[in-house]
Amino acid sequence: MMKFYISSLLIAVLILFSHCSVKNNKKVPDVSYLVESIEIPDGLTAETGALDFLPDGRLVACFLRGEVMFYDLKTKEWNLFAAGLHDPLGVLAISNSELLVMQRPELTRIKDTDGDGRADQYETVTDGFGVTGNYHEFNYGPIRDREGSLFIALNSASAGGGVRPEVRGRLDTLGRSAGKEMFSVVPYRGWIMKLKNDGILQPYAMGFRSPNGLGFDLEGDLFVTDNQGDWVGTSKLYHIQEGNFYGHPASLIWKKGWDKGNPFNLQVEELNNMRTKAAVLFPQDVIANSPTQPLCDATEGKFGPFAGQLFVGEMNSARIVRVMLEKVAGQLQGACIPFIDGHGLRRGNNRLAFAPDGSLWIGQAAHGWGGETGIQRVVFTGKQPMDVYSMNLTANGFDLTFTQSVNVASALNPDNYQFQNYYYEYHKKYGSKQMDKKSIPVKKIKISPDHKRVSLELDILQTGYVYQLNLGNIKSQIGDTLANRTVCYTLNNLIEGAGAK
Amino acid sequence: MYIQKRYFLLPIALLVMVQVKAYSIGDTVTTISINAIGGLQYDIVRFKVKPGSKVKFIFNNTDDMSHNIVFTQPESRLKVVNAAMAIGNDAFKMNYIPKMKEVLWSIPVLEPGETKFITFTAPTKEGVYPYVCTYPGHGFVMYGAMYVSSKDMPSIKDDPNIPPERRKDITGDDNSSQHQVAHSYSEVPPYLYRIFIPDASPAAIAVNLPNNISYCWDAGTCHLRYAWQGGFLDNTDIWKGHYDSYGKVLGNVFFRDKTAFPLQTDKPGNIPAVQFKGYQLIKRFPEFHYTINGIEVYELIKPKEDGTGLIRTFRIPNTTRIIWFLVDAEDGVNYKSSNGKWIKGRLKLLPEEARQFTIIMTKI
Repeated sequence: MMKFYISSLLIAVLILFSHCSVKNNKKVPDVSYLVESIEIPDGLTAETGALDFLPDGRLVACFLRGEVMFYDLKTKEWNLFAAGLHDPLGVLAISNSELLVMQRPELTRIKDTDGDGRADQYETVTDGFGVTGNYHEFNYGPIRDREGSLFIALNSASAGGGVRPEVRGRLDTLGRSAGKEMFSVVPYRGWIMKLKNDGILQPYAMGFRSPNGLGFDLEGDLFVTDNQGDWVGTSKLYHIQEGNFYGHPASLIWKKGWDKGNPFNLQVEELNNMRTKAAVLFPQDVIANSPTQPLCDATEGKFGPFAGQLFVGEMNSARIVRVMLEKVAGQLQGACIPFIDGHGLRRGNNRLAFAPDGSLWIGQAAHGWGGETGIQRVVFTGKQPMDVYSMNLTANGFDLTFTQSVNVASALNPDNYQFQNYYYEYHKKYGSKQMDKKSIPVKKIKISPDHKRVSLELDILQTGYVYQLNLGNIKSQIGDTLANRTVCYTLNNLIEGAGAK
Repeated sequence: MYIQKRYFLLPIALLVMVQVKAYSIGDTVTTISINAIGGLQYDIVRFKVKPGSKVKFIFNNTDDMSHNIVFTQPESRLKVVNAAMAIGNDAFKMNYIPKMKEVLWSIPVLEPGETKFITFTAPTKEGVYPYVCTYPGHGFVMYGAMYVSSKDMPSIKDDPNIPPERRKDITGDDNSSQHQVAHSYSEVPPYLYRIFIPDASPAAIAVNLPNNISYCWDAGTCHLRYAWQGGFLDNTDIWKGHYDSYGKVLGNVFFRDKTAFPLQTDKPGNIPAVQFKGYQLIKRFPEFHYTINGIEVYELIKPKEDGTGLIRTFRIPNTTRIIWFLVDAEDGVNYKSSNGKWIKGRLKLLPEEARQFTIIMTKI
């Protein structure tokens, strides 16, 4: 067994503790979150494909050269558990000696049966899907629901690559266009799949381009991200429901009873009518260009005030995004806002996991895209951040709830709320511009008695639009400045009973 | 990639990935064509033009993502990249090209498959003028350098103006990459990779055995595909990600299975339905587990001690059927078996003989 003794401890890349203010003889940190880098063993190319924590608190990390490694948070020691896997992009710890790992050819149960700390048994859990060998056919998951069923996601293939001479699964070129669109020529590329305890892999939902991330919220709702590109005007967070189609046409050919031929030949309007819209859009260049895994804050406050909300990794910039959802007219929709933006965070934020102590661990990857490599963690210092806690639709505008009581003068200043709205086109072209973009004046500002909630009345509420709010210098009562100032609400539905204008 | 001139005149030396020629003199036009390729790269990472020369610059996006190309003033690449990322909402509309004096020329964002060109006059001031994709996140890795100079460019392996990974792009064979450190541990045979490898399904397994023997066992088809002597695999290309590639077989293939399927039940010609169940590492050697027509099979492959072939141990513990082991006369090896009877070059095993048997394959 190899052991890697790491001499130094965590390296804090961000030292913001230049000084601490002293209140009641107790040191209060100046910042709410710190980004720290985890030391990686020499020789490891830390293209992180998957992260989870074992029941005993050790980190399990999979890397794209096939390694599965354990990291002991106390001793800072790395151990190799398994090797030779093919692009492992998801891991679920079953016990301290057993993992489920999603790799290209299959979902594999990996066990150490003789107790020597190294895996010796690799069992195929499911390989009930096709593989053409196209480089973009990544597989994601598994995540497990309350009943014990597993969910995985299968990426579509890229027109930047091809189909190898031998494929696994039934080849059907109907799922490919003549152009540069992503394609699905073996089952069930572009699908979310469900594996129940009976061991049969069932197609669950379709229409995905590059669904690099699945997660549940505290209520058990399933969310999947997708990446901007053909048929995806901007990156998205979908709330997944069984049998629904989410917009990318290629995967439709594997729908049971599909009899409409090449789905790329359908009229855009017909596809548009079939699709389920995203719960949240991540505006390109504003919030995220390549979102990854959504992870619900289940730390019950150990990680700060955002319990129950979703954090989403972003590959292309040094950012973690936060998502605030609400149910409007029976559907989940909501807003997204940067959470950590820079502050020593690297790019390539591919995988997220909460440690038992409530710190957020982040695995980074590039793999030929614009990321970086390594593992970092974000630690809550205990200082309440000054941030938007939630953004909720009202009958005539939005309520913003802050994590701290606000300075009333700054919160009532209309210059501090710049709204724009726009929509994204659904089309085969790679990405979409922001369409029909316009400024939306704020008509009225009200503040709640506890000075935490600001109600904004807007001139227009249009469904199908993103409402991007750029906040000005709103301060908290104790003088903290807002941590993040751009929040984007996806308005799919209006409050029932409120008249659309 | 190609670089060509309207008029054949004086060649100047250019050192890029492959041999190229460029011609430049007087008032003629130097044509440069660059492709955006997978892995966030331009296929050409540097080229040279004479000060004040006319340049026709063609940009072709052969990647599956959108890219632009922006020429900047010397030493201004990162400044322009950061300015592009700071544009915000209008970034898409502006093609991620910031308005600033450091930007000299640009071609807007091209979708996959698109081509555009510009013409410009190279600066009269000698220097290294970066070109870069300012699409968010790309500019840190996707760039190159236009040398405006009458002198030679520096050696590519020492060129600080191109991406570090590309400094290895020297013409000719370069096997140094496979000797780089691959992991945080050293690999001692036997060990394996699930990997894309030629002449197999996309669910292949490559195993490096002691005694300089390796083999490809295919989890997609559930059988030994081929075996080779010499090195193992060069995974340099495949580990770059973001484009189709294979682990490269290092060595000489001495065996290739040419049967429809080597294990058959009842009588030859019954091609079974197979299912891969996984593998167990026994002293680090994988024992593959699969089914043929629902019958459990275990297969463990070890090297012959003298390195001349493979020893395959099969276990079919629950079979009640006759098992046939098929070979092809042209597959490169001689066979010996522990059990069963060879009939016309095919091995027949009664159920009790098939519970465990060994096949020794020796390179001819």
